[in-house]
Amino acid sequence: MHVWQIVLITLIAFIKAVDMYGTQVFTFNSIVYGALVGLVLGDVNTGLLVGGTIQLMSLGVAGLGGASVPDYPTATIIATAIAITTGKGMAAGLAIGLPVGMLGVQMDVMAKIANGFIARKSQAYANKKEFSKMTGILFICPVLIGLTAALPVFISITLGKGVVDAILAFMPVWFTGGLTVAGKILPVVGVAVLLRFMPVKKYMEYLIIGFVAAAYLKVPMLGVALAGFALAYNLYKKKLSEGNLAYAGGDEDE
Amino acid sequence: MPEVMKMSNENQEKQGVLTKHDLRKAGYRWLMSVNTFNYEGQLSSSVVFALSQALRKIYKKDDDYVEALNNHYKYFNTHPWIANLVLGAALAMEDKEGIKAKDTIQDFKVGLMGPLAGIGDTIIWILLPTIMGSIAGYMAIKGNPTGMIAWIIMNIFFFIVRTRLFEVGYNQGMKIFTKFSKELTIFTEAASVLGLVVVGALIPSVVTVTCPLSFKTGEVAMKIQPLLDSILPSLIPVTLAFIAYKLLGKKVKMTTLILLIIVISMIGAALGILG
Repeated sequence: MHVWQIVLITLIAFIKAVDMYGTQVFTFNSIVYGALVGLVLGDVNTGLLVGGTIQLMSLGVAGLGGASVPDYPTATIIATAIAITTGKGMAAGLAIGLPVGMLGVQMDVMAKIANGFIARKSQAYANKKEFSKMTGILFICPVLIGLTAALPVFISITLGKGVVDAILAFMPVWFTGGLTVAGKILPVVGVAVLLRFMPVKKYMEYLIIGFVAAAYLKVPMLGVALAGFALAYNLYKKKLSEGNLAYAGGDEDE
Repeated sequence: MPEVMKMSNENQEKQGVLTKHDLRKAGYRWLMSVNTFNYEGQLSSSVVFALSQALRKIYKKDDDYVEALNNHYKYFNTHPWIANLVLGAALAMEDKEGIKAKDTIQDFKVGLMGPLAGIGDTIIWILLPTIMGSIAGYMAIKGNPTGMIAWIIMNIFFFIVRTRLFEVGYNQGMKIFTKFSKELTIFTEAASVLGLVVVGALIPSVVTVTCPLSFKTGEVAMKIQPLLDSILPSLIPVTLAFIAYKLLGKKVKMTTLILLIIVISMIGAALGILG
């Protein structure tokens, strides 16, 4: 890997973290980071493959209300870089990328603790009427957040091919094989989280419709989403007219 | 956005010092969002960062300004995209009533942040990335970036809309939250129906673990997976989804669940039960 490639990939990781928490245009979009790293290293297809795989693995896993969750986009950046530069393919990339993404949780928690000190300092400036320092100090926050992704990525990709090869060779078969299996089970977490947020008991039938469409009829995801949209729109219209009727009825009673 | 223009024209009798430019600027400064997240004030530093210039314009006296700032350093957390509406409305109150409305503003912010976070988290953070992510993910695996690009274009559209929600919140004030509350409840319910259909389809498509075991009885080797498929396609994924759902209900943390799955996967792979 050339120096400019390392710099660019580290920068991509930095921007990823700040965008995830700020501008939020690529939030939860792991594919885009696979594709970008692929572009830098001259292999967009592998980037799309790694990004798509991790995307499907991470569906539904969202850091709600400031919670820290495994950093799948960072995992994608590292996994893509490793997969392309070692030439050992996606499995090798995932074996390095996913554990680092998991450790990303700790980095995130540390940055948010540091943000607490900065917030107190900022409020102290406000009370001292030093208003430009009050907002100025807050610019440290996005830098810290950016580093939570940039540092692990920089370290992982600069360890060098030799070290990564050694780590991969050292990993027992049950470990890499286990990670492949984990990749096939992990989406279950997102599914369970999604279900926890939805009125499963009230609308069980729609869950079954979706399952039958995919498991028995093999309808592609876009088709399922369209059918789901039709059902949702139907319910929306029905509920809206019901609501209006109920409201009119209430008036008559009075 | 012509609607916004119309709204601001209707409200021109309001005595306020803030212009559309100030509100747009606050909207862009709010992009700081979760970057300043901390465990005490949550998003409060970003609220101060976003509103500080507008508040300075409203409060000419330093002491009033400091008092208003301290009010906004208090705990605040909601969905960052919808927060624009709340903060815009808060600025309207601040602009019209001044520092004496301090407590009303705080109550208003705290009262709305919970319900709005519920709607925002469900639709914007869970439903949208799941639907777009599953469509884009499948396309990407086959080397097709169309889904990914569509997702980005959609988010750029939302980016433009949400930075302007500050103005809507300012012009509509508290009205908007009572006016649309019924429609919003129905909309959220309908959206969750769409979500359930997609999740129902996701279980058999993205959870792809199988059982590679086979038993030999004499000459005949019997494979387990076809047997399971004849009972119910994706029997293992459905069972696992059910267990994970129940565990999350019992307050098991997401990270714990993920680590548990990795351990089970490694044991399962080593024994040849899972593949």
